Amino acid sequence: MEQRYDIAIIGTGPAGVSAAITATARNKRVLLLGSTSTSDKVSKAHQIRNYPGLPEISGEDLAGRFLDHLKKMEIPITDRKVTMIYAMGEYFSLQIDQDFVEAKTVILTTGVSFGKPLPGEDENLGRGVSYCATCDAALYKGKEAVVVGWAPKEESDARFLAELAGKVVYLPVYKRADEEAMKDPLFPDRPNIEVRKDKPKRILKKDGRMVLETESGEIQTDGIFLLRESVSPDKLVPGLELDGNHVKVDRSMATNLPGMFAAGDITGAPYQYIKAAGEGNVAALSAVAWIDRA
Amino acid sequence: MSVKKIDAPEFEAAIKSGVAVIDFNATWCGPCRMLAPVLEELSEEMASKAAFYAMDVDDNPGIAARFSISSIPYVAIFKDGVRVDEQIGFVPKEQLRAFVERNID
Repeated sequence: MEQRYDIAIIGTGPAGVSAAITATARNKRVLLLGSTSTSDKVSKAHQIRNYPGLPEISGEDLAGRFLDHLKKMEIPITDRKVTMIYAMGEYFSLQIDQDFVEAKTVILTTGVSFGKPLPGEDENLGRGVSYCATCDAALYKGKEAVVVGWAPKEESDARFLAELAGKVVYLPVYKRADEEAMKDPLFPDRPNIEVRKDKPKRILKKDGRMVLETESGEIQTDGIFLLRESVSPDKLVPGLELDGNHVKVDRSMATNLPGMFAAGDITGAPYQYIKAAGEGNVAALSAVAWIDRA
Repeated sequence: MSVKKIDAPEFEAAIKSGVAVIDFNATWCGPCRMLAPVLEELSEEMASKAAFYAMDVDDNPGIAARFSISSIPYVAIFKDGVRVDEQIGFVPKEQLRAFVERNID
């Protein structure tokens, strides 16, 4: 088995980059997961005027500096999506697609991009609503399911589900790069997938079945799969305590789960680059102290 | 005590009296694989308070349908044959302990 990492850092914005730099400087074995182009929130900023030492730097330049710094310290970015993080007690297990990676500590720096849940979503989670097609597909053998995909890559999950389910209705909630392509069937080889261009509104239960209300009507089905780009932190990490929409942390950036830390926008306002970077530094030092305790 | 794997024929006897914690799972389910060692530890630590069982939903579709299980891992607590509480999805050990504790009196 692959050796356990000291620190897994989720997110490559200012908090994640800063945490990775400090943790690596402290000789810890780091796994940095996220976009290889750092955060869009940084790179798309017009100008940043309060980052000490870098007056009037553009977002694009700051992102470039972050990447240069990582390169200089030989810290690679692993561009893979973490679907779940399990607090196992003495360590954490990160589910990355179908693989599991272990780390002694985790620093969450995933920002605040997650949207609001649909009405009825939270109440029915695990009771007909699922976030993971590959996890629950087998429970839908021969049944009907609706898949709402927020990105084109979810098409493969709809396809996977359709191998087992009797019928799948797929709602792409995104614009495809080429509108012309919309005219082509998405799943020419899967006659049991019906593609509908519609928007989900609300989820409810009726006569023991699931109902997805949409802008143009309603769909009755056995199960509803919601496949988003990012989910709220307590769904990414079962058992994680929140404070409103943010992860609850103390001054050492520790969460309620021993060995897990959080930094950056995910811990709350002010949403400032330098605040995120500072918290990333604190979180990394706290994680190092946690590993070296006793 | 550890977690005892059971199938449908043993189910009624398992839940019949006292507190039974049943983990419904499947071999292909990632979160179930993560939850199994946590339940194993708890079953040792809480051996005097509850009996712990595991059941594969693929091998026992009848039981899964009877309790309308649509997402796993699904942990149910039975008290003298009656389902009194449920927990869906992975939970860290201490929270799972609290879940079992609150159903013991």
